[in-house]
Amino acid sequence: MSSRLGRPLLFLLLGAQLALLTWQVRRTHGTLGLAGEVTLRLTGPVAHAFRGAADRIAEVRLRAQQRRLLASENAALRAEVGELRRERLRLAALAVEADRLAAALAYERAQPLGLRAAEVVFVDHSSRVRSLVIRCGRGARINQAVVAEAGVVGRVIATAGAYARVQLLTDRAASLGAQLEEAGSQGLLRGGPDGQLRLEFVPRQLPVAIGDRVVTAGIDGVFPPGLPVGAVAGVEGGTEVFQTLRVAPAVDFRRLGMVFLVDGPAPPADELVRGGDAGR
Amino acid sequence: MRAVSIGLGFLLAALLQLAGVTVWPEFALAFDLILVAVVFFARDGRAVAALLVGSAGGLLADALGGGPFGLHGFADTLVAYTTARVAQQLVVERSSGVLLVFTLASTLQQALLAALGLLFLPSVQLPAAPWMVARALSTGVAGLLLAVGQRAATRRLLARRERRRTGWRG
Repeated sequence: MSSRLGRPLLFLLLGAQLALLTWQVRRTHGTLGLAGEVTLRLTGPVAHAFRGAADRIAEVRLRAQQRRLLASENAALRAEVGELRRERLRLAALAVEADRLAAALAYERAQPLGLRAAEVVFVDHSSRVRSLVIRCGRGARINQAVVAEAGVVGRVIATAGAYARVQLLTDRAASLGAQLEEAGSQGLLRGGPDGQLRLEFVPRQLPVAIGDRVVTAGIDGVFPPGLPVGAVAGVEGGTEVFQTLRVAPAVDFRRLGMVFLVDGPAPPADELVRGGDAGR
Repeated sequence: MRAVSIGLGFLLAALLQLAGVTVWPEFALAFDLILVAVVFFARDGRAVAALLVGSAGGLLADALGGGPFGLHGFADTLVAYTTARVAQQLVVERSSGVLLVFTLASTLQQALLAALGLLFLPSVQLPAAPWMVARALSTGVAGLLLAVGQRAATRRLLARRERRRTGWRG
């Protein structure tokens, strides 16, 4: 049945298709005709929907691309901002360092003492000796006095090449000859356990006021006379004859960045004080 | 059931073809999914069914392409019949054979379209040769994928039936 029907049906269908084709070409002159119109009405909306969907997909892709681009640009700009901030901080730190060095240089030039600048490597409050480690170009010698702009820091107790350990005034084993600047009375200055100093052997009859300046007396062979040591912060007991004064150090040991090794011979005290004032 | 599946197949092919054309204007030059469906359904060797399928598919392709009606109708009818006759003589199961059948079917269709166009249409412009080759190859690949998918689905269906049958016995 199928094989018998196949060939006639083939010719019939092919003939019909050719007839349809010929009729259309002759009749419509390129227009679609009714069947074409119906087909277009059916397929047009579908194609339009596909077009819209494709446009939306393309838009989404475009937006995603733009978002990625913006994200990458944002990341690059953030990195640049971070870099600029770091650079600004670095420059600020350099400016502070430059100011510090300039001040130190001005102080060094203004002092009549032979001073040599040394960089503070670290301050050591935790070890047995309250000390700081400094780095100086030519090296230091034992018992060499170390001062800062504000006043006396301590003395060298150990050296190793360009490095030296300085015993701070506030160390309990440290002592130096000091005097009250106004009254001129000398005494022995020692380090205290609370980070302050004690000026011993000050006569009781001597009038002392809080804030009186204490300077080096120049009698210990280490520190030149007249260098600021601190200011009287209070009175503590003593004996019947002598009183002990509590002295606040002139130097803030936590904020030391640059110190000076005293190289030259000790000049007269009044000249030192004038030089120190000029430096400040 | 078969008529429904053929109808659904043509609908899907038409939708995909439309979608392709809307996304990429040259899609119709490189792909003819209606022909893929026609050849796929004609492969079972039933000549009369293949004739009807080819004729319907061809007219659908003409409608999608904006006419004139009868151009693809003629070509696809002849291609479907030829495919069915070949399938009656040869059992093509290997992938390379399936690829060849679809590719040759597309080549035949394009030759017929070119001939009809030259004979009947006043001003016809044939597609460039690379597009014709691309269309033949794409038809072959699409037909192969379809056949492989059908084979896998049939195998799975049979296995499921077998499991059910043995399960009922047990």
